[in-house]
Amino acid sequence: MYISLNWIKEYVNLDGIDEDELIKRFLLSTAEIEDVIYKGQDVQGVIFAKITSVESHPNSQKLHILNVFDGKENVQVVCGAPNVRVGMITAFAPIKSTVGGHKISKAKLAGVESFGMCCSENELGIGSDDNGIMDIKEDVKLGASLKEYYPIDDTIIEIDNKSLTNRPDLWGHYGIAREFSTIFKRKLKPISVFETEKYKNLNKLNIKIEDEGCLRYSAISVKNIFSHNSPQWLKIRLCYTGMRDINLLADLTNYLMLELGQPMHAFDNEKVKGIVVKKASDNLTMLTLEGEQHKLSKDALVICDSQENPVAIAGIKGGLLSSISENTTSLLLESACFDPTCIRKTSANIGLKTDASIRYEKSLDPEMTTLAIKRLLKLLNDIEPNMEITSALTDVYKKQYSKNTIKFNRQFLQKRIGVELENNKIEEILKYLGFEITIKGDEFTVIPPSFRATKDISIKEDIVEEIARMYGYDNIPSMSLLGEIKPTSIDYVHDKEYKTKFILSQKYNLNEVHSYIWNYKDFNEEYGINSPSYLSLLDTTNSGQSGIRSELAPTLLKMFFENKNNFNNISIYEIGRAIIGIDENNLGIEKRKLAIVLASQEKSKKDLYFSLKKMLLDVCQTILNVKVDFVENKSQNYLNPINSCEIISGNKILGKMGILHPMITSKLDKRFNVAVLEVDFDMLCNGENLESKLEKITKYQTVSLDFNFNVPHSKSYAEIEILLNNFNSKLKCNYSLSDIYIDEKNDKQYWTFNFNIYSLDRTLTSEDIDKFSSKLTSYMSENGIELKK
Amino acid sequence: MEIEKTKNQFESEVENAKDLSQLDNVRVKYLGKKGLVTDLMSHIKELAIEEKKIFGQKINALKNMIENKIEQTKQKLEKENIEKKLKSEKKIDITLPVSIESGSLHPRTILQKEIEDIFVGMGFTVEDGYEVETEYNNFDAVNVPKNHPARDMQDTFWLSNNQVLKTQTSAAQNRILRKYNGPLKAIFPGRCFRNEAVDHSHENTFFQIEGLLVDEEVSVGNLIFFMKKMLSELFKKDINIRLRPGFFPFVEPGFEMDAQCTFCEGKGCQVCKHSGWLELCPCGMIHPQVLKLAGIDSEKYCGFAFGLGFDRLVMLQYGLDDIRMLNSGNLRFLKQFKTKF
Repeated sequence: MYISLNWIKEYVNLDGIDEDELIKRFLLSTAEIEDVIYKGQDVQGVIFAKITSVESHPNSQKLHILNVFDGKENVQVVCGAPNVRVGMITAFAPIKSTVGGHKISKAKLAGVESFGMCCSENELGIGSDDNGIMDIKEDVKLGASLKEYYPIDDTIIEIDNKSLTNRPDLWGHYGIAREFSTIFKRKLKPISVFETEKYKNLNKLNIKIEDEGCLRYSAISVKNIFSHNSPQWLKIRLCYTGMRDINLLADLTNYLMLELGQPMHAFDNEKVKGIVVKKASDNLTMLTLEGEQHKLSKDALVICDSQENPVAIAGIKGGLLSSISENTTSLLLESACFDPTCIRKTSANIGLKTDASIRYEKSLDPEMTTLAIKRLLKLLNDIEPNMEITSALTDVYKKQYSKNTIKFNRQFLQKRIGVELENNKIEEILKYLGFEITIKGDEFTVIPPSFRATKDISIKEDIVEEIARMYGYDNIPSMSLLGEIKPTSIDYVHDKEYKTKFILSQKYNLNEVHSYIWNYKDFNEEYGINSPSYLSLLDTTNSGQSGIRSELAPTLLKMFFENKNNFNNISIYEIGRAIIGIDENNLGIEKRKLAIVLASQEKSKKDLYFSLKKMLLDVCQTILNVKVDFVENKSQNYLNPINSCEIISGNKILGKMGILHPMITSKLDKRFNVAVLEVDFDMLCNGENLESKLEKITKYQTVSLDFNFNVPHSKSYAEIEILLNNFNSKLKCNYSLSDIYIDEKNDKQYWTFNFNIYSLDRTLTSEDIDKFSSKLTSYMSENGIELKK
Repeated sequence: MEIEKTKNQFESEVENAKDLSQLDNVRVKYLGKKGLVTDLMSHIKELAIEEKKIFGQKINALKNMIENKIEQTKQKLEKENIEKKLKSEKKIDITLPVSIESGSLHPRTILQKEIEDIFVGMGFTVEDGYEVETEYNNFDAVNVPKNHPARDMQDTFWLSNNQVLKTQTSAAQNRILRKYNGPLKAIFPGRCFRNEAVDHSHENTFFQIEGLLVDEEVSVGNLIFFMKKMLSELFKKDINIRLRPGFFPFVEPGFEMDAQCTFCEGKGCQVCKHSGWLELCPCGMIHPQVLKLAGIDSEKYCGFAFGLGFDRLVMLQYGLDDIRMLNSGNLRFLKQFKTKF
């Protein structure tokens, strides 16, 4: 929203305060300022002059050669405007003056010399008319600067509308002026109005409110309006605050909206007889002022005349058929208040946001309607002194705002703000802001003004804000806080998340990614990834996706796919959220999951698989102290049915791991081998603990022995491991698999196990060692595993 | 005199020793078990008592002289050796690059941990929240009116079971307030979602770090203190902050917190759009209704809350100009963030 400082200064005297200071204090106390625009600097030296002769141009049909009198002499000007005529007073930019930032100099137009330029309002940036040069009707002194008569120099501040959402009172200049008045402790001047009291015995207008969406409807009718053009000052105000001037009546209603924040509408009184506010009938279409058709739903509020013809979409836009035209001389002035939600919904439904609707959405002050009418009449009467009021000011006030009383004391404010305050300081601020105040000692009882009471202020904490912002947030000292000292705790899984990320990124050189929570249905279908989604999105326009993922691995596969042309090896992981089902209360079951995708053009599937296994076990051992096991399972949808497994801890399935299904790999990119892990990180963190106890260290020598077994292909390591773990020896021993040799010629495989044997109480003798060897050899042989011959 | 002769002989031989092995031969010849000095020593028993003493002293002097001389020569030869080695040393191009094998952490992870550590250091607990939330937690519990536009389909991702993707970390406030039911200092980072079109400065999926502090007497001054401390610690220099009025339903009063631009020190630059300030964090004093809805006596307790626009901070920290990079999974981008804690 644009705010004119000239306009503000009409209501509060800000003399002697630097403009930068004005802007800074406003920003810190009231609302965000997006921009400051200095108007009028690009127009310098433009004066009033009278056209004394008009001749046609010998070389052009469009151009005329004029003589203009600038108060001292006649100057020859070549002008292209169609509306030139002798005797007309216009804006003249002589040589060396500035228009639109350009310096005017002597020029030749189609061979004729021109010593200056006659200007349109549009060229001067002070109005919208660009059909011809200014046709000035006011009584002005020729040769005087335009700036002596018109408020061309002005500072405009652009306020971020978003910072005004809770302040209906700031949607007009008067409300902003009140803020300045409070900030600088300068008196706010009253609004001068046209008194309607003496017309109260005239006939009332016929107004009916049939729906509670309309809180108040005030109107009056007036006739004998013959002016159609707005005075220049009015055009400048509108132009500078972002509006187009249209005609006098439309301009005045807009002016009022910008001044008080109250949207108004002027109907042609000949076209509207009586007012009914009601919900729209089924499938009603409305032709609005701009000539657009809008189809209204049943919950839209409309203004109808007494014949039930819709004349306006309430609070949003007037209708074309009832609108004022060039022939209008009598009007019906509407000033109403509507329910904010009702206006917002209709505005959203029909996709039409207007200056009126954005104001009504903010919960406007219903007390303002009649004031706005009286103010508009005052301005109209100044311009058109012959206007005649033809009805009583008719006011149907359906729903009052709720007036509330707030009690608080000085100590409360001090504690909340963190500064010492004086009662008279508090009182002063609240008075400037329009509160009614009663003080007993340190106890305050206040009633917020109507323009703050609709939405903004209802509890004592709201008063904290009023006092603190006017006291100045920058005057509040920073203060430490001494509460109870206690050890801080970090969410367990959250903490483990970091540690896991750390090990994966630093020790295993993986790259952490963040992906979206969407389930990429199209991608998954195209590449044959079968991953369920338990929750769908009701609106898919912005995400382009229909549902929420239940697994992370498919998302990571998509990321692999998007990166695969840049790398030969891709190793990525994410710890993120997924919805793995719906519980009995219809709530999503949300889990933190860890997924890893390793893809390589160089490494074998087996290498990739064992890398995954190593990472997982490392995390389980060093970070989580959790015991996991791997169980073969052939139905792991997107994984290879031969080489994949489930990850379990205790009796719980935590996830899965394996080589990507060949069908998917071949579609994604057959150059790569891909291994995938997906595990429920919440469950993993809370898995069964590893049994770990310290082993006793022997004082005597440990003997290292290698055994080379011929292991049949049918046996897995897990089976051999069980065998070895069950081997009973009097000596202490531990073992590890140190080598696998595959003899392809004879189709045999030999596994070398390295055994460390020792005793806790003596040095081993060669007899001990021989005994151990033969016992182990015969034990293995009994179980079908022979030593290599 | 035998002694004098041995001395002269040694001196010429030690001069001639060209390397350490020759020197060792000399050492053995004179000082060895069967060496010349030992041999001379054996003559002592042939002397008269009064001569024995003098002879013994002379022999000892000779022995010391030889030991010293050999040690000196040894050091000299060793030094020559090393100099010779250095002369033949092959020059390595020590400027050649090395590659450090390392994965990467997501930039958010790096900064988030840093910020969490700062708050933990100031006594804040770190809590966790959900991404899929109930309408109650996301809106009602934080005092968002029933008909507030934020609840509209255009702003919030509504799900088929009437839950929402949380639009703000504040959705966890109610649960955390209930957990402590009184004084607390907590931060809760989390991923949030807004149903809006994505461009270089807007994301539908972004991170916030929210903080809550509840106690019996908490003031705006306290909020200023913690925000200033956190930012100064994060940027390793004193950071000025300022509060401006801001409206958020879950706080009263509510503020927008700006930090003095860390790039231009407040002079005005492109990053701060020449204002000298960076808008970082909506915050405010917890609305009494939010406390009440969590079963906390709002007459006894009060507090402050802030919602740090974390992704913006990440972008500032790394000079990133396109927010979409953060969720892109673009490894050429992400691989630049080598592990650092």
